[in-house]
Amino acid sequence: MNTPDHTPDLTPHRLIDHAGLLALARPRPDAAAKLAATPFPSDHLGDQALHGAILGSPHPHARILAIDTRAARALPGVHAVLTAADIPGTPCYGLRHVDRPVLCADKVRCIGDPVAVVAADTAEQAHAAVAAIRVDYALLAVVDDPLHALEAQAETVHAGGNLLHHLHHAHGDLGAAVAACEHVVEDEYHSPRQMHAYLETEGGIVEHDDDGRLVVRFGCQNPERDRQVIAGILNLPPDRLRVIGTPVGGSYGGKDELTIQPLAALLALKTGRAVRLHLNRGESTDLGVKRHPMRMRLRSGCDADGRLRFIEADILADTGAYATHGPEVLDAAIEHVVGPYAYDAVSLRGRLAYTNNGIAGAFRGFGAVQTQFALERQIDRLAALAGFDPLCFRQRNLAAPDAPGPLGQHVLPFDGPHRALDVLRTHALWTAPHRHADGRYLYGTGLALVHRSDGFGKGGPNAARLVLALAADGKLELRAGFTEMGQNLIGAATRMMADHLHCAEDDVRIVLGDSALTPDSGPTAASRTTSIIHRALRDHGPRWRAALVDAARVDVELPSAARTAAGGLVSEAGHPVLDYPSLARQCATTRPTLVIDLPAEETPSDIPAAHLVFGASAALAQVRVDSWSGQVKVERLVLANALGPVISAEGLLGQMEGGAVMGQGMATIEDLPSPGGRYAARNLDGYFIPTLADAPEIEVLAIENLMADDPAGPRGAGEISVNVAVPAVANAIAHATGLTVTRLPVTPDTVLDHLERQA
Amino acid sequence: MITVQFELNGKAVSVDCPPERRLLELLRETFHLTAAKPGCGIGRCGACMVWIDEQPVNACLVMAWQLEGRRVRSYENLATSTESAPVRDALARCGGLQCGYCTPGLAMTLTHLHRLEPRPKRDEAALLLAGNLCRCTGYGGIRRTLAQLFDPAIQAPLDESTPT
Repeated sequence: MNTPDHTPDLTPHRLIDHAGLLALARPRPDAAAKLAATPFPSDHLGDQALHGAILGSPHPHARILAIDTRAARALPGVHAVLTAADIPGTPCYGLRHVDRPVLCADKVRCIGDPVAVVAADTAEQAHAAVAAIRVDYALLAVVDDPLHALEAQAETVHAGGNLLHHLHHAHGDLGAAVAACEHVVEDEYHSPRQMHAYLETEGGIVEHDDDGRLVVRFGCQNPERDRQVIAGILNLPPDRLRVIGTPVGGSYGGKDELTIQPLAALLALKTGRAVRLHLNRGESTDLGVKRHPMRMRLRSGCDADGRLRFIEADILADTGAYATHGPEVLDAAIEHVVGPYAYDAVSLRGRLAYTNNGIAGAFRGFGAVQTQFALERQIDRLAALAGFDPLCFRQRNLAAPDAPGPLGQHVLPFDGPHRALDVLRTHALWTAPHRHADGRYLYGTGLALVHRSDGFGKGGPNAARLVLALAADGKLELRAGFTEMGQNLIGAATRMMADHLHCAEDDVRIVLGDSALTPDSGPTAASRTTSIIHRALRDHGPRWRAALVDAARVDVELPSAARTAAGGLVSEAGHPVLDYPSLARQCATTRPTLVIDLPAEETPSDIPAAHLVFGASAALAQVRVDSWSGQVKVERLVLANALGPVISAEGLLGQMEGGAVMGQGMATIEDLPSPGGRYAARNLDGYFIPTLADAPEIEVLAIENLMADDPAGPRGAGEISVNVAVPAVANAIAHATGLTVTRLPVTPDTVLDHLERQA
Repeated sequence: MITVQFELNGKAVSVDCPPERRLLELLRETFHLTAAKPGCGIGRCGACMVWIDEQPVNACLVMAWQLEGRRVRSYENLATSTESAPVRDALARCGGLQCGYCTPGLAMTLTHLHRLEPRPKRDEAALLLAGNLCRCTGYGGIRRTLAQLFDPAIQAPLDESTPT
């Protein structure tokens, strides 16, 4: 029994275990700078910079009747008090939907929605001026529930109505598939509003440089896009702006879109002075985006042989006051609710509602993590009903490696899900009993499997421009508009440059995140940057190596087979011919540069937002539940990642461990309720994130295999650990306690109520 | 306004400020020392950790009037000293930092613990470090750092000067 007939014949796994990854790991190239306390954007104090402060709405939903700034303007030290009327250009910004006012003019839609902004000589003066601004509001009914938001009589948050985005996808004969089922599970799952809790709150400075440019320095994920948008808001040509967005003191998606940069830039433009703006934690909590809470009704079934036949999903997501990435988040939620499994029929529906519950936006795991939690709970429950081991049940139901993707789209063939499960099948944590009790403690082991997309869906900003250059000092530069947020992009890029250019890592410099120095590479998001840089160097590295040799030939006679190597050009036999600094000096006026325009690689299928490339991860979680307190302690996590060749072992370890604990937090403690449109906490004393004492032992495994002729190469590692840890922990809690986990986080109260009912 | 005199990174300083002005703000705004970070402002995250009279303290919880005659040491000073060298080396080698925003505060606490006599055991050090939040690493690299620094069997090759 339990023989998976979808499992293909797998070539041997190219597996690196945790100890192997540790042996490969090296210090990040930027560790020394970070350990020397190199400033972050919000540490730049500037020379005589003014202090900015924002007047945010005290109401979740209200009409603005009047704003009186006269008293504020008259206060000492105040240089500017600006409202929407002072915006020279586009008054709103956004991505697919341009719906977010830089400053609110007619109504406010969430707590903290900016109404006015002040610049003054000191922070105290700025805050005094903010307090002196008079705003008359007419309160509107607060929309604090996404379901109510979609009712006909609901107050509308935006003029077009509260349904921001919806989609429906179906394939297969649903009726026949349901009829074939012996076991059906239907339930409603709830995922929390998780906060990014980057330790560097939004902050930075806007200064005037000697070329008459405004230099905007705030941590971000896409400096070039920010430059274009801010230029539109200020009604300036983009070349009057320079945006520096790196390094970033944590983002996880939360700094992907603009937040307060336009306000600081507006103040700097109007005052002619440098202006600092740095949110405190409370302001950051109010104004920063959160993970979309979702309610997910899932119904799925399998036949008597334990074969999945259908899945139906109805997803409702709360995007809060503004769209930002909401539509793409919902698209990802729908695409990933299917999982790497095969069905006869699929019927999916998603709706995204505006509410007055703050603002939800991009967050590592990006829509998928919510629905993967619900899906992997369903899978575990169906496996139990059908009498299968959870791992065998998953193996049995995997789509073939060359099967179409979740929405029926063409995807790159991939056997990662098969391999990830196969690796965990023999893991000691899985072959041990999956539950046991020891006095007051209940132990459980849970399994989850996810696949997740790389890059943006069809129609997204998938193209990228990168530049290779020989710098004046002889460094081989990679210039990219990406930012370093801690993910070890610099380390991974350095490694790839050395590999593809056949040089030493010391010969390389990675230049990031500065619109004056780097090209438009698109967003540092969607787990895409390593894959993008790999593609660029794989496809264009040979041309660049040849260009370096050709540049040398202009003035120097080189052996015919000269080539790049560590330190400089060498002969065919490896004898040094010309080092890179000498090469740079020699071609001082015509140093070579290669502009690489990578076209978007997307699925050819005509399905909006569908993805082409997927990676996979399977995880085991072991939890210990205290039957006295109801508290869940995650003791162990094992992550088997099928993401192709490991570029940076330290980067992979860091991304896996960090994301896994973020997922653990989402599954066990993290939620930010918004009753009446007001967040229940504004700081880390009311919103808890895991501490060192909460962190489990984490084992990371890397499966390097890709399918023969796979054109994409290494998959991104930035998000998938969150995606897989959340359902693994949820399933472990279910195994330990018998609780039907449908709502995250699993609070002690939920556990105790369940245990009391059982007693 | 009060006048407060204290020692900052080995130098005598004098500040005129409101008595309730936080040390974190003094460091950043008055002395332009930005290694201490304003992560929460309420003593929960540890990103603004400094030493006062050799003890780690959240700078956001200390008011100016409390500083009279005290010795304050910030990470700018510690980062260039040999005392923190084993800690910085271990953090870099073990992947104990990613974005790096929590790193100065974390290194202040770690260096303090590493200098204690007797040196805490690894588990004790881990408990004492739980007041320093990190959102990037999942504490994997920080656990490895702790093993390097506080597990005698592991620390020997890294920290040869330390008597066993």
